[in-house]
Amino acid sequence: MQKVIISVLGQDRPGIIAAIANILFENDGNIENVSQTSLQSEFAGIFIVAIPDILAQDDLAQRMAVALDGMDLQVHIKPVEARHVADTPSAVESFIITTRGPDQKGLVARMTTIIARHNVNVTNCQAVFKGGDDPNSNIMIYEVDIPADTDQQMLFSELRQKGADLNLQVSIQHRDIFEALNRI
Amino acid sequence: MLTRREILSTLEMLQSEHLDVRAVTMGINLMDCVSSDAAALRRNIETKIKTLSAGLVDACERVGDKYGIPVVNKRISVSPIAVVAAPLAPAQMVDVAQSLNDTAAAVNVDFIGGYSALVEKGFARGDRTLMESIPAALAQTDRVCASVNVASTRAGINMDAVLMMGSVIKEAARRTADRDGIAAAKLCVFANIPQDIPFMAGAYLGIGEPDAVINVGVSGPGVVKKAIDRALGANPGQDLGQISELIKQTAYKVTRIGELIGREVAMNLGIEFGAVDLSLAPTPNVGDSVGEIFQSLGLLNIGVPGSTAALAMLNDAVKKGGAFASSHVGGLSGAFIPVSEDLNIAAAARRGHLTLEKLEAMTSVCSVGLDMVAIPGSTSDETVAALIADEMAIGVINHKTTATRLIPVPGKSAGEHAYFGGLLGESVIMPVNNAEGRNRFILHGGRIPAPIHSMKN
Repeated sequence: MQKVIISVLGQDRPGIIAAIANILFENDGNIENVSQTSLQSEFAGIFIVAIPDILAQDDLAQRMAVALDGMDLQVHIKPVEARHVADTPSAVESFIITTRGPDQKGLVARMTTIIARHNVNVTNCQAVFKGGDDPNSNIMIYEVDIPADTDQQMLFSELRQKGADLNLQVSIQHRDIFEALNRI
Repeated sequence: MLTRREILSTLEMLQSEHLDVRAVTMGINLMDCVSSDAAALRRNIETKIKTLSAGLVDACERVGDKYGIPVVNKRISVSPIAVVAAPLAPAQMVDVAQSLNDTAAAVNVDFIGGYSALVEKGFARGDRTLMESIPAALAQTDRVCASVNVASTRAGINMDAVLMMGSVIKEAARRTADRDGIAAAKLCVFANIPQDIPFMAGAYLGIGEPDAVINVGVSGPGVVKKAIDRALGANPGQDLGQISELIKQTAYKVTRIGELIGREVAMNLGIEFGAVDLSLAPTPNVGDSVGEIFQSLGLLNIGVPGSTAALAMLNDAVKKGGAFASSHVGGLSGAFIPVSEDLNIAAAARRGHLTLEKLEAMTSVCSVGLDMVAIPGSTSDETVAALIADEMAIGVINHKTTATRLIPVPGKSAGEHAYFGGLLGESVIMPVNNAEGRNRFILHGGRIPAPIHSMKN
């Protein structure tokens, strides 16, 4: 078996997942992981699928294009590559970074640039931008994994400084506090 | 993956509802410091406290930063000094208080508790010495807190100790007359004192406790009030069963934070975690008040008819939520109603909605007792003792902790204003009604026997 990752984008409507799952089933594919979300009216889904070695990815792409014709979906398929061991930090600590403040262009770009420079991986990212100046209407939440060898104080201080420059309230907290508070 | 709601509701509690960890208190056993040589004893005490607690403040701040939760107060409680320093003379005992004070300053903690005696059944030599030395010790130090346990459900009420404490409190206040008798604000008289209180002024480390232990006091009256306000804002028709459930859930969250922080501080310092004290403890800041919760529940003010029932519900709901959240609950664990330390309660006293008599009634359904109550400086020793005796009786009969922290403000009368400053706050001086003439009941002395239901074995 070989593994592929399939991404699907398009306007949300009933039946998208059913359509994709059926094509994969007909082609002897086994879905290992799925994540889907809807942003406003748009659907985005990613599927990691094991498919038979004899099935070429181009053929699978062709069959999906035919089966999904008329649904106005964009489908992209690529092989899943084994991750290099060196790329995976052995120990990480999970933190939640939130920013609140007036909506402006470049908020996400500037904060994530700092996060990336410290080799910190964003594992989940949620944004609520309703526009305007009410801080509570413009919130960005980043869940990040900070490797053990990252200088946390330096990272946090750069994020807070950038937040102050952008007139944002920045909160940085270890993930465990949210777990402790909200989950049994 | 956390939901957006989980993240935002947590931030709301932290940023606008005063959710914090009120006190991380390191308990330190001093029994191995004992020496009949006063200088050696003090040296041993200083060395042991400094060795164990040198990293306390740093650890609290590091852990507080990590979780974004401030640890407001870092404190130390020690073994009862009446036992540790039993062979010493009163003046030497005061020197020990000075050592505790200086050591607390050196490790940067604002209060150190344990200048204490346990005399519910009678006095040992060290107990009497310590009680006699309390006024001088508290007048010349600013970080030392004293407590005396004069009663328990098992032993009854030591009325000789109660009477003596009436005089000790008056003398402590008199020695700090220039600061409205602040020494008395650092002195608690207890029935059924717990061994692991993290809150001052009643903290001491019991004899059955480990060599060093971290106890945590959580707070959160602001969080409870906002939760009630939000719920009633969305649905004003909620009944008290539903409101009680909401308080319970809120107390659960507050306690979880205390447990998380306490365990991590303890782990960082390499010592044991003891217990979480799930009390609603106010500070003299807007939005951090237990009194405001009464108004959110629909009462004009704390002290008006209905207040005892409201407090009973609040106290019980806090306990239920907290007990589920923590595997080790200890200390006082209930709602505090300290008059001067809560802006709203102090205002209720000033307006006359809260009287001493109603306050006493309310203490039968919550933790602590007549706490931070300023009374006229002319109140007699006997009357102070009689107020203590009444409060002790509530604790003894109801199998619960009660305490008094009465401040007879020198040179001031009922209706005047007493100012203690900082966390101790300020308050109107409350009248002590019907206290004319001699109180022959109190002067009988002796010990009021333990109640029949103390015999459980």
